[in-house]
Amino acid sequence: MASSISDTGNNTDRTIDAGSVQPGDSSALDFAASLARSFAASLNVDATVRQALGSIIQLLETEAGSLFLIDDAGSQLICRASAGPVKIDGLTVPLGQGIVGRTVAEDRLIAVEDAYEDRSFFKAADQRTGFHTRSVLCAPMRVGEKLIGAVQVLNKRSGHPFDARDSNMLQVMANAAALAISNARLADQLLEQERIKRELELASEIQRSLLPGVDSDLPICGINRPIREVSGDFYDYFELPDGTIAFALGDVSGKGMNAALLMAKTASLFRCLGKTIRDPARLLSILNREICETTSRGMFCTMLAGLYEPATGLLRYANAGHLPPLIKFPDRLYETVAPDAPPLGIVSDAQFVDHEINLNGGLFVAFSDGLTEFRYGEEELGTDGLNLLLDNAQHKPIAQRLDAVLRELDQGGWQARDDLTLLAIDDCTAGRAFQRDHRGDPAAPTEAEFLFGLSFMAEPSRLKLMRASLRAAARACRFDEDEIQDLLLAAGEAVENIMIHAYGSGKKGEITLAVHRLPDGIMLRLRDFAPRVDAAKIEPRPLDEVRPGGLGTHFIRAIMDDASFIPLPDGEGNLLELVKRRRTGPETVGDSPAGVPPDSGVSPDSGGGSDSPRGKPGVGMDSKDRI
Amino acid sequence: MTVTSIKEEQGRTVIALSGEIDLENAGDVRKALLAALKHKKDVLVDLSAVSYIDSSGIASLVEGLQVARKQKNELSLVAVSARALRVLELARLDKVFSIHPDIASAIAARP
Repeated sequence: MASSISDTGNNTDRTIDAGSVQPGDSSALDFAASLARSFAASLNVDATVRQALGSIIQLLETEAGSLFLIDDAGSQLICRASAGPVKIDGLTVPLGQGIVGRTVAEDRLIAVEDAYEDRSFFKAADQRTGFHTRSVLCAPMRVGEKLIGAVQVLNKRSGHPFDARDSNMLQVMANAAALAISNARLADQLLEQERIKRELELASEIQRSLLPGVDSDLPICGINRPIREVSGDFYDYFELPDGTIAFALGDVSGKGMNAALLMAKTASLFRCLGKTIRDPARLLSILNREICETTSRGMFCTMLAGLYEPATGLLRYANAGHLPPLIKFPDRLYETVAPDAPPLGIVSDAQFVDHEINLNGGLFVAFSDGLTEFRYGEEELGTDGLNLLLDNAQHKPIAQRLDAVLRELDQGGWQARDDLTLLAIDDCTAGRAFQRDHRGDPAAPTEAEFLFGLSFMAEPSRLKLMRASLRAAARACRFDEDEIQDLLLAAGEAVENIMIHAYGSGKKGEITLAVHRLPDGIMLRLRDFAPRVDAAKIEPRPLDEVRPGGLGTHFIRAIMDDASFIPLPDGEGNLLELVKRRRTGPETVGDSPAGVPPDSGVSPDSGGGSDSPRGKPGVGMDSKDRI
Repeated sequence: MTVTSIKEEQGRTVIALSGEIDLENAGDVRKALLAALKHKKDVLVDLSAVSYIDSSGIASLVEGLQVARKQKNELSLVAVSARALRVLELARLDKVFSIHPDIASAIAARP
């Protein structure tokens, strides 16, 4: 065996000062320096170790040698390279044992002149290999204060024992080798880090490919910004064949690769199931069971999933333990309910609930807590902060609006603490006529509570639908059946007027109807996008003239308490506001005769001009043109 | 169904209307009335099953009335539903049309 293991009590040790090199060794020193340079250039630990040992054996002219490094645990030495007749690569030696172990434990160079005088020397190894160990020289390898191993050489070829020059030389070379090995280790670590980084980049790229591409034609847009390379958040949306948009936003518990993998799975399942399942609650329920079956390590995923119809503004969503969405109508904030079901992956038979809302030109924003937990010092952004930022970026296309929110946070010194994901649906950009009117509409009076909005083509076949919707709203406003019938007649007449007079026969346009509840009645706002109608020209016909036409306006005036055009900028169409109050008034049962609403148009002033004061004053607006 | 039935009864044409009459189908009502009037007979319009009628439906009735009167026929309304009557009243046409509770009394009024 090429290594000698000596007894710790060996009294043949010589400690040599390795700090200086004798004069006359300059050629050897040059040689050592050049070797040190060459193996320091190597960036691979194994190659460096072999090269270092080879150089040392060559320089000291020995028959054999071996190089040991301390293992990761720091408890033993492992032979990483050996040269000579017998290979001992992989041999382990406990710290403090044998010449090598003692060299490291005592942190000093040890020289043994005659191994066979050392009682514990492995003679058996020599006998088996035929190698005869005479003298041993072993030096610790150190980088700065840190010991990393030891290198030992056996038997000078000349047959002489090791001298002080050899000792000095070995120590110099050992330290040079230590530096080279340390460099190579760092290089290996860098390579490993580089490899992990590349893999993360690849994972990140694959994750990004799971997110939908930007489609500026759609009224929906999302942003995902991971705090690390990979994200536990995701969002997705896609258009179904009928124009409905399926969307989802999720947040997997935890960060890093585990979260990213569950995210990828959940996002893929959504993309697959979302194409066929038109029921958000059912979709979440299926996703939940699937994730429950396979998830591990207590991971789970909060998620909002829904369907949005750009054609109507109708949005349905279900919430699995996620933050409630922010829903902003043009004039006010909608109170959303807290999640009513647990996150996905926790309870396999959890029940999910569909929520339905008509956006009516409003904004729907789903977000991960990474957004609301943006910090500025101790202050958290919160939902209110997000709402404010969205307001600041009003009137911008949705993608720019989201960008503006993030830019404001970044430039304002806010710090992200988690993956950040934001998904917004802007009903104003849905391509319906409704978008423009609501934005341009004067705000409804504060006592008016928005009930619903309808957007429909100016076609007579839509009248029944309009009336059916309005009938339900009127019941909700506690009108009696006679009043409701009158209201339907008046609203129907107003819509027909738009069809016939504003758009003209044959021309198709959009009509939107916004229904508001008043404390004592109902307010309808009918919007068209036709050229401006002169209110003065919409005159009821003289009733004693028996001929078709003009009747509709008369009905409107007879039935409604107020019917006025709200001025809009040129080219923005027409907005007619109709108000009808219950004859019972806000609280008490009134005394007006059945079937005749107060001021129902049968009074003497009903034939008056457009400026004649009729009924109660209009709500909120001053410059209306009464019809 | 807007125009539910057209039948002859003692020399009159009886047209029964039903359901909701608005801009979508008022044209059908108008055509049915004018077609019936081509036979130069009195026309009775049964409005018992009309749940909704608006100005366009009323306009068809008014046009029918005008054509009838020009050719010395009468167009009368019979069994007018409360809803249709309300609209006729709103239009102040309840005194313009002759309105009868049923076909028999309409026939009796113009023997």
